[in-house]
Amino acid sequence: MTETHQQVPPAETGPGRQLSRREFLLRGGTTVAAATATAGLAVWLHDDIGTAGLAQPRPATIKNYFAAVDYPESAPRVSIVRDARDRVDGMVGAALAPLGGIERFVRKGDCVLIKPNVGFERDPRLGATTHPEVVRSVIRLCRRAGARRVLVTDNPIEQAAACFARTGIRAVADQEGARVVLPVERYFQPVAVRPTPPDPARNEALGTWPILWAPLEQADKVIGIAPIKDHNLCSASMLMKNWYGLLGGRRNQFHQAIHDVISDLGLLVSPTLVIADGLRVLIRNGPTGGSLNDVRPAHTLVAAVDQVACDAWCYENLLQRDPTRLRYLELAHRKFGLDAYSQSRRFGRHDWREYERTGLLVEQDLSNRLA
Amino acid sequence: MRITTARIISQSVFAALFLAFITLTSLSMLSDYPALRFWLSKFLEIDPLVAVSTAMTTHTLYKGLLWSLVVLLPTLFLGRFFCNWVCPFGTLHHLTGWLFHRRGLQAKIDANQYRRSAVLKYYILVGMLVAALFGTLQIGLLDPLVFVHRAFTVNVLPLLGRPVPALELPGGAVLGGGRLHQFGWILGFAFFVLLTLNLVRPRWFCRVLCPLGALLGVLSRFSLWRIERDPRRCVNCNVCVQGCEGACEPDARLRRSECFVCFNCIEDCPHGALRFAFLPSRASEVTGPDAGRRGVVLAALSGLFFCSWTRAAGKTTRDFSSRVIRPPGAVEELEFLERCLKCDQCLRVCPTNVLQPALFETGLEGLWTPVMNFRIGFCQLHCTACGYVCPTGAIQHLTVDEKLGLGPAAEQGPVRLGTAHFDLGRCLPWSKNTPCMVCEEICPVSPKAIYSEYQQFLLRDGRKSVTAATANSVTLAETATGVDSTGAPCRFVAHQFRGDETASYHVRTTPGPAGTGQSVRIADNNVDTLALAAALEEVPPPGTEVGIYIEYKVPKMDTSRCIGCGLCEHACPVVGDRRAVYVTPEGETRSEHEGAADRNRSVRLRKSL
Repeated sequence: MTETHQQVPPAETGPGRQLSRREFLLRGGTTVAAATATAGLAVWLHDDIGTAGLAQPRPATIKNYFAAVDYPESAPRVSIVRDARDRVDGMVGAALAPLGGIERFVRKGDCVLIKPNVGFERDPRLGATTHPEVVRSVIRLCRRAGARRVLVTDNPIEQAAACFARTGIRAVADQEGARVVLPVERYFQPVAVRPTPPDPARNEALGTWPILWAPLEQADKVIGIAPIKDHNLCSASMLMKNWYGLLGGRRNQFHQAIHDVISDLGLLVSPTLVIADGLRVLIRNGPTGGSLNDVRPAHTLVAAVDQVACDAWCYENLLQRDPTRLRYLELAHRKFGLDAYSQSRRFGRHDWREYERTGLLVEQDLSNRLA
Repeated sequence: MRITTARIISQSVFAALFLAFITLTSLSMLSDYPALRFWLSKFLEIDPLVAVSTAMTTHTLYKGLLWSLVVLLPTLFLGRFFCNWVCPFGTLHHLTGWLFHRRGLQAKIDANQYRRSAVLKYYILVGMLVAALFGTLQIGLLDPLVFVHRAFTVNVLPLLGRPVPALELPGGAVLGGGRLHQFGWILGFAFFVLLTLNLVRPRWFCRVLCPLGALLGVLSRFSLWRIERDPRRCVNCNVCVQGCEGACEPDARLRRSECFVCFNCIEDCPHGALRFAFLPSRASEVTGPDAGRRGVVLAALSGLFFCSWTRAAGKTTRDFSSRVIRPPGAVEELEFLERCLKCDQCLRVCPTNVLQPALFETGLEGLWTPVMNFRIGFCQLHCTACGYVCPTGAIQHLTVDEKLGLGPAAEQGPVRLGTAHFDLGRCLPWSKNTPCMVCEEICPVSPKAIYSEYQQFLLRDGRKSVTAATANSVTLAETATGVDSTGAPCRFVAHQFRGDETASYHVRTTPGPAGTGQSVRIADNNVDTLALAAALEEVPPPGTEVGIYIEYKVPKMDTSRCIGCGLCEHACPVVGDRRAVYVTPEGETRSEHEGAADRNRSVRLRKSL
């Protein structure tokens, strides 16, 4: 310490430095702005009740793919074709003819989604999956009718790419210029099948559920093509059960109420058209099969606009079982009865003989027709 | 063209090939382009350390491993060119080191000084090779090609998907996007750490740890060419060290076993004092690694006892884990451990993602070997892709006929991975009065191994007391034996017991868990009366008890048909820590082999009658 008290000049740094007004405002202002922004962000994000961050996005709803079809009341609802020689192209054409031909269902510029059953990685001869030749001729017909795009999709039980390859579906899609849409996770989206949660007491199984949505969203028309086969739990997997392949999530829980879910699936999708592939019917060891001994060639194709009646006919005539004892047909009949649209068209009959009596079910046999 | 430019092109080409091969390793690519089978595991097949170590464990050189000669022979002439011209992992390290290179000449020179730690890799090599001689293959833990294949498979490629979008390849294979690998994060972290160590010292892994580099370093003593310094031109400026990848002292007596033949020193020398010379004098080089004799003996001893050390756990024999299911075509466990590199290319190609890297389920030595996790996937029936890509035959290459026991292989039957069992306490039909049967539905063999039979189970509150009865109907007391779970008296909902094909309801006149006496199906019911589908032989008098039973299918297992594919376990809706049906290795085909460590595992459970 020195004795003399000297005047200290204003320092550049250190405790005694002069702070300019400009620097004070600039630095102080920055700090105040940062503090205000922090507090503002916190207040803006604040969730007082604590559930705002848990809100679910609104589920989508599936449109009615039959609504755009101009379908006369008097036209047949179910059309059956047999050909002992399995000339598939001719069979598909002949089956569609009484319904008005493909032109009634597919318009120029449509995007058509075909939903075969590709559930398992099996050779097509084993009857566990839709026969690729049926898919091929439907793709061709759609193209001929002017479809802009044809998509083929399914969410198989086994690994998807392998299933599409082994069943031959991918090959025919590639050859005919259709696009196979494999079930990638981001294609699924929650879909409201019914607006309320399902009530098991009323045999309802599906409320809002993740569905293979992306291809459905793109499509203008949806055609289901399903093999007719034995099923260990619900007795038969046919056309309504085919829509199970659009479900995502942990869908195997539905087996605890399988008739409820299959009859719900009939309402999940209102398809433009369904085609039953009864060329090679899997009569036992279903739904997987795996042996030619499990297969009975039935040489039959059925085109229909009423999937319940089509299932009932196939169950009785291809699997040779009694449809009055198949619970999901009865449930579907009841549920379709409650559905305003189906009711107005009197679709969803589980007693196919009613259609036979009124001429809405027609049969043809092409076996003796020349090529 | 400058020689270093040629080197960079070579590094880029091989790195690109590595990336291409590993991304193309998928079942759909293999089936669409069968020619790929030749290429997909090529980087592992040319790895001389893979060839040398598997030759030590198996005394053979498996199939494509002959290709290791394309690296071995040139190394004998040129030295460790592989490390800086071919090795994709080396290129990754080179690239990381270049991105984070030091500023200033002196810092660069310091970073590339030779350090004594470089000797560690020779001890690692000796230890692993001696362990291999005694039957356990561990080189894959650190071999750069095996490491980089494994890291890319289990953690680097699966990173795609978020936030970087997953890549969709033609044919439907998707890169990233939901590939799951248990403990993959450990390998991802190890990969990241090894790369960041380049910030501490360039090429740290290559210089210090790499056992393949060590092997090539030992072999480089025979090479006819090497870098030679001309002392008459050299002014001892040390500029040659600034880019030296191997830290091999080109400024003094060249350490030939450390030199990566990167040619940076020749490019960098301002005085033209360095050249790649034919047969230069032994006096101006350090020929071999400076591994000490005592260190080598210690390393050899650790390798010698490694096998007994890990196998003392008993995990390969009597305490073999019930969770270890090996891929189809895998050889017997001890042979498997002699062959499996842990390259995890089987995991990469597996279409269902069922194959997972093991942690210590089969003991320490089984780390990162493939095991199945049926919660993630299942063994696809017609797929044998894992055997196609296995470079060492740990998984033999089966045809689909051989796997399924069809056609020419019908005699020997299908390859069984294990056997499925039911946990009755978890199974919905067996213990929870709930119909299910997903396992039977999904069982892929024909005839199905899982079959079903109808059984009846007494309902909770199923004992009811009779107020009136005829042969075809039974009226029950409104409040029979108690109250329901809500405390309300037990009244029936109309049609409650009508049932369907999946489940039906029955009345027995002698209720009890193993009710004897007649069982009659309930056709319908109203609020207190059951209408019966058939006539009762003995009409129960009022006041007696009857039981209401639910009847549905319960699953049963025919173990002689089960192939252990795990589809049932995968699909079981009881999704807790353990499914209600699960696969264990009992009955696995590979243990039927004569020299199997535990032949008990191959004994099939007797078919119940």
